Amino acid sequence: MESLINAAARALEAGDPLGALNRVALRNDAPSLALRGIAMAQLGDLAKAKTLLRSAARAFGPREAVARARCVVAEAEIALVSRDLGRPAKMLAAARATLEKHGDVANATHAGHIEARRLLLVGQLDEAERILAELGPSPLPPAPQVVRELVVAGIAIRRLRTKDARAALARAARAASLAGIPGLTAEVESTNRVLDTPAARLITRGDERPLLLEQVEELAASDALVVDTFHHSVRRRSTIVSLGTRPVLFALARILAQAWPADVTREALMAGAFRARHVDESHRARLRVEIGRLRAKLKPFADVAATKQGFALTPRKTRQVVVLARPVEEKHAAVLAFLSDGEPWSSSALALALGTSARTVQRALDELARSNKVQSFGHGRARRWMMPPVPGFPTGLLLPGPLLKT
Amino acid sequence: MKRSAAEIVREYGPFAGVDAVHGVTYDGSHVWFASGDKLNAVDPESGKIARSLDVAAHAGTAFDGRHLFQIAEDRIQKIDAASGKVLTSIPAPGGGGDSGLAWAEGSLWVGQYRERKIHQVDPDTGKVLRTIESKRFVTGVTWVDGELWHGTWEGEDSDIRRIDPDTGKVLEQLDLPAGTMVSGLESDGGDRFFCGGGANGNVRAVRRPRRG
Repeated sequence: MESLINAAARALEAGDPLGALNRVALRNDAPSLALRGIAMAQLGDLAKAKTLLRSAARAFGPREAVARARCVVAEAEIALVSRDLGRPAKMLAAARATLEKHGDVANATHAGHIEARRLLLVGQLDEAERILAELGPSPLPPAPQVVRELVVAGIAIRRLRTKDARAALARAARAASLAGIPGLTAEVESTNRVLDTPAARLITRGDERPLLLEQVEELAASDALVVDTFHHSVRRRSTIVSLGTRPVLFALARILAQAWPADVTREALMAGAFRARHVDESHRARLRVEIGRLRAKLKPFADVAATKQGFALTPRKTRQVVVLARPVEEKHAAVLAFLSDGEPWSSSALALALGTSARTVQRALDELARSNKVQSFGHGRARRWMMPPVPGFPTGLLLPGPLLKT
Repeated sequence: MKRSAAEIVREYGPFAGVDAVHGVTYDGSHVWFASGDKLNAVDPESGKIARSLDVAAHAGTAFDGRHLFQIAEDRIQKIDAASGKVLTSIPAPGGGGDSGLAWAEGSLWVGQYRERKIHQVDPDTGKVLRTIESKRFVTGVTWVDGELWHGTWEGEDSDIRRIDPDTGKVLEQLDLPAGTMVSGLESDGGDRFFCGGGANGNVRAVRRPRRG
């Protein structure tokens, strides 16, 4: 269409964002705003890029639906990469539909992948899979193929299906070498490393050893009674008792499992589960109550038997009791344990679950956020907290294909 | 106003290495089109690219009988058609918002895309002699038999329309099929228009309606 726009778009495509900016820096028409937005995104100024793309989407006329939709897609990708997850998904879905309707398959697929990545990030695995299925198995060019396979791998990792994850990563690696984009190759490699790095610690009979994700998967299929500190649950195969909202019961279960087959003294249980420094009669009474509750919870797998000193776990139908713990137990592990269910939590819900004050939880979350161990989205009462990006999630900007080419 | 569907008589391309057509002109034997960093001459009989000139070519293209005129960024370059050498250049009236280019009656006619305007420009100085307002985004511009035609492309719709050069009033309109773009327009002086297909990367021949 326009001379300078065409010249700037060519510069962008050739990987010269500054050359593109030079040509449209002072222009404020819709295509110039969009080109400036893409150039700023490529230069890493995501906040500026977002503003420019939003103005561009507004500035395009009502008849320029495709151009407008491409701006929305670009903005959604920037939001995703900046972990601005509270954004309504509706606009992106509408943009995707518009692109599909007008035969812009490449950008419609790109929009679908952005949506799937967002869903993976917020732990909505079924929804992420649904979007991938909607996009269909049609052959993709190498770069989007890498993105797709990374999302598939991310879902498989979350679902503890390491074989599927490895297969997807092998496909991703092949596509990445075809695409020749170093960022994508690095992304695939780092996801592969996740599979080859201990994902957990196995504690049993006073002994501990690191476990790879594959071994965690095997454990899930084994006979063992597992006290799972990732999900605050006790499980054997598909029978799962969640103690997520019962931290005291979970603490007792863990202490008993770690000592198994030995018993644990009342004092040790009270100190461990109640954080009690000086044990008195009221603690003893409380322990009796809590053990009673735990007994009821663990009924499907085990009994909690009273011994001379205290209590012992006596599992049924299995000869193995293990504790599955994080590779490194850290401060605020309890907060992380809740968040590792992949769901977004409000701080007040966490406080409730942990049985502590909102202020304590907030402090823990702030500290964890500073070291990038948790992330939040939304503001005020709508603010939610989650675990950081799951592995297998492409983090770079790919941006919609030919945004403005005529 | 007469309105009808455009009759596409032939399609040229896609051409290897061409991902978009920005401007189109005709020198009496070859159809020239601008593809970003090249001007390409297509033999309208064989449909093959006969030769290419390495010049910046971001929008409209025109031919005055000896020279090619080509919009590059915010300038209009005058190019020796034989050697491909840039002889002179003048500022483009739209400052880079320029789209189509035509040569007629000793003037250059330049479409300014989003401003929906066509400027008549002195080819030596770049001075704007007058401006015609259109109702739609202007792409290619051409003159034939005293008729001023221009391509439009707004949103997803394109057409080729004849306008009154004095009032800008639309006299006749040829609608292209939905999703078909017009970027660049040139008459062959007879009953054909050549128009660029934008990102489609091809050139189409469209029949010009008979008068009378």
